[in-house]
Amino acid sequence: MRYSVLAIAALLIAAALIAGCSQQASTQQTSAAGSQGVVKVGVIASLTGPASNVGTNMWQSAQVAADKINANGGVTLKDGTKAQIKLVVGDDESTQAGGQKAATKLITDDKVDILVGGYSSAVTSAYEQTIAEYKIPYIVTGASSPIITHRSDIDTSYIFHHCPTTDTYGQYTTQFIDQVIRPAVNKKLGASSDRPFRLALLYQDTAFGKGIQTAVNDTITKNNLNIVLVSQQSFKMGESDFRTQLTAIKAANPDALYLGAFPNEGAPAITQARRDIGLNTIFLSAENNDNAQFYKDVGQYGEGAIIESRFSPYTAPAGTVATDQDAFKQAYFAKFGTYPDMMGASTYDGVFIAAKAIGNAGTTDKATVRQALVDLKMPQLIEAMKDNTISFSKDYRESSFDLWMEQLSPDAKSGETRPSIVWPDNLKTTEFVLPSWYAAGSST
Amino acid sequence: MDDLSIFLQILFWGLYAGCIYILLATGLNLIFGVMKVVNFAHGEFLMIGAYITATIFFLSGINPYLIIVLSMLALIAIGAVVERFCFRPILGTGKLNEIFLSIGLIYIFQNGAAMIWGDAWQSVKSPYDGITVPIGPLSVPLDYIIIIVVTAAILCALYLFLKRTTIGMQMRATSQNRKGAMLVGIDVERIDVISFGLGCALAAAAGTLWVVSGQVFNPYMGSIPAVKAFAIIILGGLGSIPGAIIGGLLMGLAENGAAFLLGGIWKDAVSFIILIVVLVIRPTGLFGGKEG
Repeated sequence: MRYSVLAIAALLIAAALIAGCSQQASTQQTSAAGSQGVVKVGVIASLTGPASNVGTNMWQSAQVAADKINANGGVTLKDGTKAQIKLVVGDDESTQAGGQKAATKLITDDKVDILVGGYSSAVTSAYEQTIAEYKIPYIVTGASSPIITHRSDIDTSYIFHHCPTTDTYGQYTTQFIDQVIRPAVNKKLGASSDRPFRLALLYQDTAFGKGIQTAVNDTITKNNLNIVLVSQQSFKMGESDFRTQLTAIKAANPDALYLGAFPNEGAPAITQARRDIGLNTIFLSAENNDNAQFYKDVGQYGEGAIIESRFSPYTAPAGTVATDQDAFKQAYFAKFGTYPDMMGASTYDGVFIAAKAIGNAGTTDKATVRQALVDLKMPQLIEAMKDNTISFSKDYRESSFDLWMEQLSPDAKSGETRPSIVWPDNLKTTEFVLPSWYAAGSST
Repeated sequence: MDDLSIFLQILFWGLYAGCIYILLATGLNLIFGVMKVVNFAHGEFLMIGAYITATIFFLSGINPYLIIVLSMLALIAIGAVVERFCFRPILGTGKLNEIFLSIGLIYIFQNGAAMIWGDAWQSVKSPYDGITVPIGPLSVPLDYIIIIVVTAAILCALYLFLKRTTIGMQMRATSQNRKGAMLVGIDVERIDVISFGLGCALAAAAGTLWVVSGQVFNPYMGSIPAVKAFAIIILGGLGSIPGAIIGGLLMGLAENGAAFLLGGIWKDAVSFIILIVVLVIRPTGLFGGKEG
């Protein structure tokens, strides 16, 4: 017995030593690679845990971007040498602790030159302190809360936000309601143009959902819009039963319902509202709902619903972005056999932005790359940007997207619904319509 | 909608939510009553039940309400294996071992399910989707009525099983006095396997009804319901089946009432507030016997 214990202990020690040696070998290998003209881009993504679907998409999109950059010769550095992009992934495990671990590992063990990625705002903000400490440029391509670069408790000067924030989508969606849905409802009712529009909110009780709630309230107040918030209901993240909140919302007689929800919440909320509660209204969702699973889950109940978006699996805006988005979708499909989603698209952009910044800096020196990101002005890639240009604002280092609104209509072939862009005018492919079954909150 | 309609509607949603809780908590209490083991992985059996139903439905297109039987049978088998190879070896070695074993099982089942079925949220459309039945001032989807009826039928079957069959009586005897049961010749290890399997089957039924009601599911769906099931059995009284039923119903109604009156974020909290209040007033739970 004693010998068995000793043998097991010896085996464990041997295993630990072998693991240590392997780790050492791996580190040395990457160090050697670093000196051979390789730019190391760390990608922080949720490969495991509840957000793994989105995380895997982000990581795979980064690979498609790196393949394209490398196929075109890589990044040109100051001394004229070409460097290939080498991606290293860090799994944040969809948790704050996992995010902290992933960021630290990528920076200290893998010694990446720049970081791209980050999905959940709560997870991303948990390791921003590490980014501040090591002063490594980080292009956040998934987290949507403005706190990512607005917070003042830590130094966020190395963090650049290439993803619309809840402020932006709340503002766009509210303006769309005011400019498009409100007149359409008034026309249907034969009501005067000064009839107040009755909007209800159902939002996730997190920075994401509250961000949308705040943005809607602020947009209405700031622009003095003729919109009244008749009900504001919240729910816990991951909730799947919304029937009670929806009953309360229906009792408030809304003209439309804006959902600050993730796709796994938004799809059942719309289904339960239409099927169980009989709430026949227009549902508006945030952009993260624009993925294939959402369309599958919401099925026919999605008819007439609106999604604010910037990248869709089933549609593209009028103009050149459509061609570029299609090329990305095809390259992604050729490599992985599935199609990318929105967070994948911004991560694809993010790797190109990282390569461009390092190319402009001509070096991987962190401070110089940061300055290159501050000064960056590059043509838009696969997402429609303001002035067709990717650049970061001077105050909070946020890029400005051209967002659009899609309306879902039945698709006989799939038995689901499919989107068409209805706003703004420069991107739309069709007009917004109120479904025949639509019931306004009040008759006048 | 008038106030009465709203009240009745909320009551109905509470009743529906209560059905899922009742099945989950009754299964957990059955296991605890007989074996006195703490199984935090009970919610994972709900998740596996949900996936088995969904998988069979996707492959065959059979009415998901009929698949509930297959799902329950599968979980009896899975539960028996888990009892035999995981819980039996540590039975009586201390609550800490049971807790850590069940936490380990949570990770194994969640990651196993993620490997087999993927991490993505999924949903199932009931064949009765869109059919509503007028009940008084309400117009209620047929699915929820079926769910309530199925839950009542399962509970009646369980009652008859425990009261009228020899195994049922042996389970009750083991639950009341394990040593006494052994002394009169009851094979308590066999009863343990049956109880564990039956408890898991009830979780599978809850999982199936969850899926059929149109709620989304993924490998991590079981954690919160499991915690609530524990709160219910403590609230109702450890080992008490009527306690689990009343506790589950109370929980469903309280959650939906709180979500309506106080807001959605109070939905989970209110259950635990009730639990604390009941424990302060009656430490053995609503239907719990005297301690010792």
